Amino acid sequence: MSVVLFTVLSSFIASAVEFVEALTVVLAVGVTRQWRSTLAGAGAAIVVLTALIAILGLTIATFVPIELLRLVVGAVLIVFGLQWLTRAILRAAGARASRDEVANFGREVVALAKEPPVPATGMDWISFTVAFKGVLLEGLEVAFIVVTFGAAGGQLVPAIVGAGLAGIGVLGVGAAVRRPLARLPENQLKFGVGLMLVSFGTFWAGEAIGIAWPGSDLSILLLLAGYLAASLLAVRTVAAGLVRPAQLSQMQTRQEAN
Amino acid sequence: MRYVIAFARFWHDFLIGDRPELFVGPIVSLALVALVIQAGWSAVSGLVLFGLVVATGGLGLARELAAARAGTDR
Repeated sequence: MSVVLFTVLSSFIASAVEFVEALTVVLAVGVTRQWRSTLAGAGAAIVVLTALIAILGLTIATFVPIELLRLVVGAVLIVFGLQWLTRAILRAAGARASRDEVANFGREVVALAKEPPVPATGMDWISFTVAFKGVLLEGLEVAFIVVTFGAAGGQLVPAIVGAGLAGIGVLGVGAAVRRPLARLPENQLKFGVGLMLVSFGTFWAGEAIGIAWPGSDLSILLLLAGYLAASLLAVRTVAAGLVRPAQLSQMQTRQEAN
Repeated sequence: MRYVIAFARFWHDFLIGDRPELFVGPIVSLALVALVIQAGWSAVSGLVLFGLVVATGGLGLARELAAARAGTDR
């Protein structure tokens, strides 16, 4: 039961973060160009992602032996989770600039203003392509998490449900407010997802190489608590003085890569 | 061939990017823990894996901070 809930929750939070980033692109294109083509592009990307999740998820779960799957997926989840977690730690410590959806929205609008005008009739392929690319690129991370979580834990349906609920929630709120969702605590969410990915990854990969975790699935909670404690300690250490103010400002001016 | 290279580059950027230590660290950690289990110390293997993953994250943070200190973007 705990694994099902964790899978839904992890998939929901990770997907929500990525959907917020995709929503920023879709809103920017829709507002500045043409909604019909923008929504068509976003919809086409969602269809491609859904097909990708279904085909990859089922193929991997059916044909790859579970021990090998858990080893590979576990290792990849640790890698992926550490990437999310270390960036979230740096942001929480003030050593890295947080993602600003309003600023990103503004940059997209400025970039789109340089494109040729919207055609008077028919499809605006610029709107379609930009929206398609934005949703597909952000959604690939979602697809990756859903497929790995679903296949390794035998929880493909809960993972898809989590991602689907996140998509409906974010798109629903986005459609209602017609603004980038800047108030979402994006870094805290990424912090949480990073912790979950690393915890599940450690559990599955460890199980595959022969670790007999005490309490079986309950060990995931212990791992989660341990990684949370280590991460909070890292935030305090980084914030307390490993980095001098000049270096901090240098880091804060860097462009966000993710 | 162009598509194969593009596909490989996509996965390289997706999983490794500019932070190879976070890719290599977990793989080395799992190999070391497998050796620990082979050596008959399975009782501590979970703790060792946890410690090695934390150390990998610490290394990633240290390298990120060092890159900032040197003024290089990562």
